[in-house]
Amino acid sequence: MATAHYTDPAGAAGGFRGGRLAKASLKVLALCGAPLVIYAIFALLIGLPLALVLVQAVMPGLFAAQDASRVLSLEPLSRVFGSPNVAVSVLHSLELGILVASTATALGGVFAILVHRCNFPLRAAISAVPWLVFLTPSYLKALAWVLLMSSGGYLAQFGLLPRWLGASFFGLTGLVFVHTLSLFPLPTFIIGSALAGLGSELEDAARLSGATPLRIWLRINGPLLAPAIALSFIATFAEVLSDFGLASTIARTSNFGVLTYGIYAAASDYPVDFPAAGAQALVLLGLVLLVVVADRLLRRRADPRLISGRARPARLYNLGAWRWLAMAVALAIAFMALGLPLTAIAARALTQTLGHGLIRSNVTTVNVVAALSLNTDANDGLLRSLFYAGLTAVIASSLALLLSAQLDRASPVLRTAVIGLSLGAVAIPGIVLGFGYILVWNRLPGFRDWPFPHYGDGSLLVMGYVAAALPYCLVVILSAIGQLAPSLMDAARLNGVRTIRRLLAITLPLILLSVVTAFLLTFIRTVFELPMSQMLIPQSGPPAPTLILRLFSHDRDGLASAIALVAMAAAGLGAALVWYPLQRFVKPRRSAVPVEAVSPQTVSAGTLP
Amino acid sequence: MTASLHCAGICKSLGGRPILTDLDLRIDAGEVVSLLGASGSGKTTLLRIIAGLVEPERGLITLDGRVVWSKTSVIPAERRRIGMVFQDYALWPHMTVANNLAFGLKAQRLSDRDIAERLAHALDVTRLASYRDRYPTELSGGQQQRVAIARCLAARPALMLFDEPLSNLDAALREDMRIEMMELVRREAITVVYVTHDQAEAMAVSDRIAIMRAGEIVQFDTPRAIYEAPADSFVASFIGGFSIVRGQVRDERFKIAESDAETVRTPGARSGDGMLVIRPEDARPADAYPDNRLQGKVLSSAFQGRCWRLAVDLGPQRVRLDWPEAPPVGASLAFSLPPERCVVLTA
Repeated sequence: MATAHYTDPAGAAGGFRGGRLAKASLKVLALCGAPLVIYAIFALLIGLPLALVLVQAVMPGLFAAQDASRVLSLEPLSRVFGSPNVAVSVLHSLELGILVASTATALGGVFAILVHRCNFPLRAAISAVPWLVFLTPSYLKALAWVLLMSSGGYLAQFGLLPRWLGASFFGLTGLVFVHTLSLFPLPTFIIGSALAGLGSELEDAARLSGATPLRIWLRINGPLLAPAIALSFIATFAEVLSDFGLASTIARTSNFGVLTYGIYAAASDYPVDFPAAGAQALVLLGLVLLVVVADRLLRRRADPRLISGRARPARLYNLGAWRWLAMAVALAIAFMALGLPLTAIAARALTQTLGHGLIRSNVTTVNVVAALSLNTDANDGLLRSLFYAGLTAVIASSLALLLSAQLDRASPVLRTAVIGLSLGAVAIPGIVLGFGYILVWNRLPGFRDWPFPHYGDGSLLVMGYVAAALPYCLVVILSAIGQLAPSLMDAARLNGVRTIRRLLAITLPLILLSVVTAFLLTFIRTVFELPMSQMLIPQSGPPAPTLILRLFSHDRDGLASAIALVAMAAAGLGAALVWYPLQRFVKPRRSAVPVEAVSPQTVSAGTLP
Repeated sequence: MTASLHCAGICKSLGGRPILTDLDLRIDAGEVVSLLGASGSGKTTLLRIIAGLVEPERGLITLDGRVVWSKTSVIPAERRRIGMVFQDYALWPHMTVANNLAFGLKAQRLSDRDIAERLAHALDVTRLASYRDRYPTELSGGQQQRVAIARCLAARPALMLFDEPLSNLDAALREDMRIEMMELVRREAITVVYVTHDQAEAMAVSDRIAIMRAGEIVQFDTPRAIYEAPADSFVASFIGGFSIVRGQVRDERFKIAESDAETVRTPGARSGDGMLVIRPEDARPADAYPDNRLQGKVLSSAFQGRCWRLAVDLGPQRVRLDWPEAPPVGASLAFSLPPERCVVLTA
């Protein structure tokens, strides 16, 4: 039997002192190696770019093309705060954030109650809508609504758009409207999971105490859901602050300046003004940080275990004849948030011009054919994005799996630190991270001339995509690993199974669905990822999101819609081809896995009193 | 090949709080030893240290004289040849029963023939041959537990560790499984360390019991020796629901503190403050030992099958007694104790 000697007592003799030192160093390295690698990955992917954004804001001359200096200066910040445009951008961002957080939370809450607590026809199908809306990028939804609401758009052609409404859409009203329909899934997820966790027992107890349904919702469910409602508000607010999709479409064309577009414009429009971009990024990060702190404080107070540790599955209300109204409301939300925008994109992709409307003579397949034909700019962009997305998904999910497996055995301090970093990194606006990547890989000595990844190369864009996706993947995979009983790995160890084989033969099969979920989420999000794509356009050609926006702004919205349509079809089809067979294969055993947390399910029973 | 185990001077603390303090334990080959203690006494930590799943801070662990852990030499858990039956069985849910058993054997690079032989033997002795292609979740709790034992047996470990293996089973199944499980390990003559907080379980399965308190072994002896002569009041109260009555001894007679009750004869007891151990089953009718008579008031009674378990108030203190009938609550009860069964512990 082999013995792992960390230090050798025989080596105490002087002649072996060097060897003992080396072995001691190896031991220290073995102990510290894994945490160091984990910290290094985070530092390189997220920490360094973010740090440079912050440093740049107070050392404006640091990355100047000529006469670089390390002089501390608050000039960019004072310039930014003194600039009426930036002040207006900040106010616009806050105003938009607060309004959308309110409307999206209300809409998401209603939708969550409908699909989680009410029994109506098509409920199962409609409950998938928030996921599809969530996965559709905001700029596509925005462009679709531009096609619908512009003066010559589809709704005007059908006589469904009053002139006053069309005019007021391109401003705060339209932004709130599109953002609300785009972001309501977030509150639906948060409030929905709180509703599921709440179960029906507390409600039943109130009913037995003689409370009416209205009183139950006002006095029992409402207060217990208050933390989830507040979290929804905060999460939506942060999403609006960080959003770049609507900022670079409807907001830009409406001259409604917001912070994210201000950063992009300062970093990419001629003359490039890095200090101004850095100062605006600092302001945006400050606001996001406040939101993250509020979120943490709220989560600490709203520990679901305090509400209910062993809630029974919730019952569905049997609405009687009102079920048709419930279905109509849910379908209307689904139609406005998903059906109508996708129809507009599809219609535009299959027509020659917007102005000629939906008549047979205007129908064409030219745009779709161009998107599908090899060696066209559209197809190149599309394939480039699908390739980058596939590569990013493989790297990010593999990296997240390895890091999660390491973290599962790591000290609680490291684990807490990395989970905190990941959750924090989720909140970092993509545009800020993209700007940080420009600073690191275009300006920082040592990185500037690094061959791989290299600034202006697809490899750097993929690295940026990985940085944006890694926190999501880590959160998904870590939570899955956290649900595995530690004894499963201990049993494998005692059976003589080594680390890598444990990971591949025990951990991976048990969390395969979560790893694939992380992979597919990353793949779909990356195909349509906008901020990084805009900031780090490779010299070999733009990826699909950049191409779509560029074509739209050059009035080639037919081809842009065709690229979007084909990209959605490819991403959706690819995801379905992976997900459904895998789920059918894994689910029968997974459903019986005792180590997975059993999420409270909703069962159909009961009648609304 | 079964092995002896020796743990010497084991120390372990978590977050600055000592969990195990200079702990010594020596177990002979083929012996079944229980670690018995309340939650937080350190018994599971000791078990995981022996397995190699937790690193101690100091000490020495040897298996058959071969060092498996010392400050300078560590054999990782993967190579210690120690089997463990976990509290939740830790069966890999995505593998069939046969694959659960074969997985570790393949990792040891055994030949297919050896693996097949070991599987057949382990499944045969655990009566699981007909379940070999089932997944763990398709089995009952008792069958799952047998798979966990079969997995250990197939690996032919030098030492088997049981971490409260019966705690997930209902009361009716628990005794059957305990008998079956111990038959198996006795037949294979494997050295066993068995962690439990249930004294009846420890008494039933063990050759010797190590009673743990706050990271130390307070008594390590055969079940009978511990029952007959608990080392201190902690052991006495932990074993068998004994009642501990405070008082003073003078001239080998024990007088209950702050009470007008008569004294009882306690041969061999030293004079001074002491604690009388009263085992419930030692209660006799008052006239059986008229010289060792006590009287109290019945507080409650619970039917136990062969007798009633009474709670009797002796003034400031309360004792539990087994009694053939249930006097009404509040009634006066006189009983006596055999002098030779009256053990007095030093206060």
